[in-house]
Amino acid sequence: MNSLFKHLPLVFRHEWRLLLADRSLWLTLGILCAVLAYGLFNGITATEARTTTQVRLQIQEADAAVRNVDLLRRIFEDKANPEPFANPANPANVGSGLAARYAMMPALPLAPLALGQSDMLPDHYKISYRNKTSFLYDGEIENPWNLMSGRLDAVFVVIYLLPLLIIALSYNVLSVEREQGMMKLVLSNPITLSTLLAGKLLARALPLLAGAALLPIVALLLFFPPARQVDALPQMMGWIALVLAYGLFWFALAAFVNALRTSSANNALLLISAWVVLTLIAPVIVNLAVSTANPAPSRVELATQTRLVTIAGLNRYNELLSTDYRYTTNLETLRPKDGKLDIPERLRAFYLMDRDVDAEISSLLDRFDIQVASQQALVDRFGFVSPAIVAFEGITGLSGNGSRRFQHFKEQIDTFHENWRGYFQPKVLGGQAMTESDYADIPRFVWQEESARQRWTDLAKRLFQLLLLAAILSVLAIVFLRRYRVV
Amino acid sequence: MIGLIARRELLEFIRDRRLFWAGGIILLLLAIALLVGWQQQRTLNAERAAAQQLDYDDWVSQAERHPHDAAHQGMHVFKPEAPLAVVDPGITPYVGSTQWLQAHRQADLKFVPAQDATGLQRFGNLSVAWVLQVLGPLLVIVLGFNAFAAEREQGTLRQLMSIGVTPQRLLLGKALALSVALALLLVPAAVVIAFVSLSGLEAGLQYDTLMRLLVLFAGYAIYLSIFIFLTLAVSGRTSTSRIALMALMAVWITGVILAPRAISDLADRWYPTPSRVEFNNSMDQELSKTYADAWQASFGVSTRWGADLPLNRWGEALQVDDQAGYLVADRHFAELWGAFDKQRQLQEWSGLVFPVLALRSFSMGIAGSDFSAHRDFSLAAEQQRRLMQDLISHDLIHHADVLDHQHFTYKADSTLWKQIPPFDYRLPTMEAVLPANIRSLGILSLALLVSFVLALASVPRRA
Repeated sequence: MNSLFKHLPLVFRHEWRLLLADRSLWLTLGILCAVLAYGLFNGITATEARTTTQVRLQIQEADAAVRNVDLLRRIFEDKANPEPFANPANPANVGSGLAARYAMMPALPLAPLALGQSDMLPDHYKISYRNKTSFLYDGEIENPWNLMSGRLDAVFVVIYLLPLLIIALSYNVLSVEREQGMMKLVLSNPITLSTLLAGKLLARALPLLAGAALLPIVALLLFFPPARQVDALPQMMGWIALVLAYGLFWFALAAFVNALRTSSANNALLLISAWVVLTLIAPVIVNLAVSTANPAPSRVELATQTRLVTIAGLNRYNELLSTDYRYTTNLETLRPKDGKLDIPERLRAFYLMDRDVDAEISSLLDRFDIQVASQQALVDRFGFVSPAIVAFEGITGLSGNGSRRFQHFKEQIDTFHENWRGYFQPKVLGGQAMTESDYADIPRFVWQEESARQRWTDLAKRLFQLLLLAAILSVLAIVFLRRYRVV
Repeated sequence: MIGLIARRELLEFIRDRRLFWAGGIILLLLAIALLVGWQQQRTLNAERAAAQQLDYDDWVSQAERHPHDAAHQGMHVFKPEAPLAVVDPGITPYVGSTQWLQAHRQADLKFVPAQDATGLQRFGNLSVAWVLQVLGPLLVIVLGFNAFAAEREQGTLRQLMSIGVTPQRLLLGKALALSVALALLLVPAAVVIAFVSLSGLEAGLQYDTLMRLLVLFAGYAIYLSIFIFLTLAVSGRTSTSRIALMALMAVWITGVILAPRAISDLADRWYPTPSRVEFNNSMDQELSKTYADAWQASFGVSTRWGADLPLNRWGEALQVDDQAGYLVADRHFAELWGAFDKQRQLQEWSGLVFPVLALRSFSMGIAGSDFSAHRDFSLAAEQQRRLMQDLISHDLIHHADVLDHQHFTYKADSTLWKQIPPFDYRLPTMEAVLPANIRSLGILSLALLVSFVLALASVPRRA
């Protein structure tokens, strides 16, 4: 141990000088920074596009609100005629779409680092009292080919490319010394093999990991204003810790393979095979296993159920639906009188049908959410078979674009949708006209962030998994180094 | 001589167990992918067909009601999966499968499978196509990286040259060895794939599927050949097998892992896809103008569904409104899908440098799991919806009520419901999809030619 601390700086300094003189470090760092920069550019533009959309929707929503209230005022003053299908005094028109509000999930400061599910799942919903299936599936438009390819973002670079660069720089740190006959010479000095290996790897790890962990942070601070806040600091620390732990795992693996005392070519083959298995094959297999073990319920069944419930509703409210329709010819019926309004029976029937559909299929819809949640639980439990999965899940979690946060958003949508309906139900069924002050009271969606505690325990668990794997490999490396024959 | 070289080389693959291990893993993955894909597809297609039949039965036997409310119930149509989606699911996990044909507006297909999965889905979907596209080239590299480099290291290259083996023969011999090694693994796999994907299909579909399979295999053969020559080219130019391996790994990772994502992002930047809000806003704007014009022209009124048009003309109004909207929707969807198509073309042309992109397009296209297949179904579903709408409006015009505002008291019965035929969707045939996939095949062939020339130029002429 003593010799380790005494000689490590020496080896490190020596190795560092060699690396600086060599082209390979610069080449590797250059590739890393270039691809990372492209990934960050992609991440930042995609996140900004999402934010722009949200802002635009907020403006649209505010404009519509002003228009509605303005028209309502003029109707009360007898300066305008209400229209049968867009009457701001009619709660059935207002609640079913005229004043629909958007519920939005804001992007987190680290969102550009990992786009995760953000191109797949909606980050806003247009809420009305229509049934949930009418708005729950309106996702963003995206070329499915691009969804299939996936995005090139910072987390992709870290998960796939960083390990390869680590392998390229360190697959032969010991074997090349032996192959060139330098090993005997080096070890004639009073240093141990472990010190030699540790020093060599440290000299490589320092620039590579510092680049991978810090460049994205710097880029975010410079080009993504939402990241410039104190709250973002712990999340950035989390990112740095995950990248370091993940990198550490790969360096530990390189150390282990070097300790096996095979040829350089063999080392390269072993490490690359490990990379293929851990980052390419394992995640795909785990995904398959998880979705086979916990398959999503049938969407066909959902469609069929929705239809059956709709038919039942059409039959149940057949009378209401076919009542006399005087509203287009007799405009007086569209005007509120003493706070009351003649709500067309048809609209009332539609309201009731939507309510019934939701009540009857809600347990079915819940099953989908439960299923995704249990799939996610499996990923959390068995993800450790591949450090790529652990790091990916950790980083997407920090970026706020992981499955769990979207699930959390959907849960809030359920509540908000119920509140919305609860607000309009007495008005629609009781025939109460909308007033100006009612408009101010229409439920508003307030986003509740995921519990911070959950996020940090998740992060801690993943860091622990990565570090544990790295530690096991390091111990193995030391054991094998003890038996290493220099000659 | 070529045969002799190939035989020696093959013997070596078998002796050092490279073929056994690398090939074994590939075969195992292929088997899992095939089994899971086949099992899922069988249940899925059966379920969808049954549900669609049930849906139509319910439609025909529904109670007497106002036709517009019947359109509210509508019909569900389900996209059948093409038989070869078992081999290459293509974009299937990322597009919806279900359309609820209802009144008023064209909609996207609902229920995207990937939305019911975790984020892990984004690492990739295990399928036969994925294994061959991503791991196939790696297998070629593992078998062939030291083809020339090892001979050079061991000094056998000098001996070969001294007995007068020409570089061309040497190259062809080595290429033959690699091809035979791959064929040993993949031809039996192909037979199993064909057997599994053809089983249980009706006779007409069986022939079409078999033709598609043969064309598909040809595409994959070209793809793997590109990598055979590329591997030999690199092996011929590098001094040691270690360097050859590193260089080939760099080529593979750039071409197969990095490029698909980078080019996707690039394509999206070059031919931007509008956001949902942009798309809807621009369509809504045009629609409201078109509707206004149509109402003005047909009825001389400016507000739709207002007091100026008596209720007993609403059937007519529905027809005018729908017809005017169809054209606008068609134009907007054509524009959006046109952008997707341009993105696809850019991907295909990138295939000259990164063959996997041309192959992906080709493979999805032939398997019937690409966007054109999706579009074909979407259009057919929309056609059915319009047919339903038109018949309903026609019926409303016919029964326009004489009682003023008793419009909604009219009730149609099963004679109207039966007028709407069941939705009978046929998958496009091989002849129909082939022309759209000639380009990607051409690009693949061109890439093969380039890699062959490259290999020829790189065969060592001196030891």
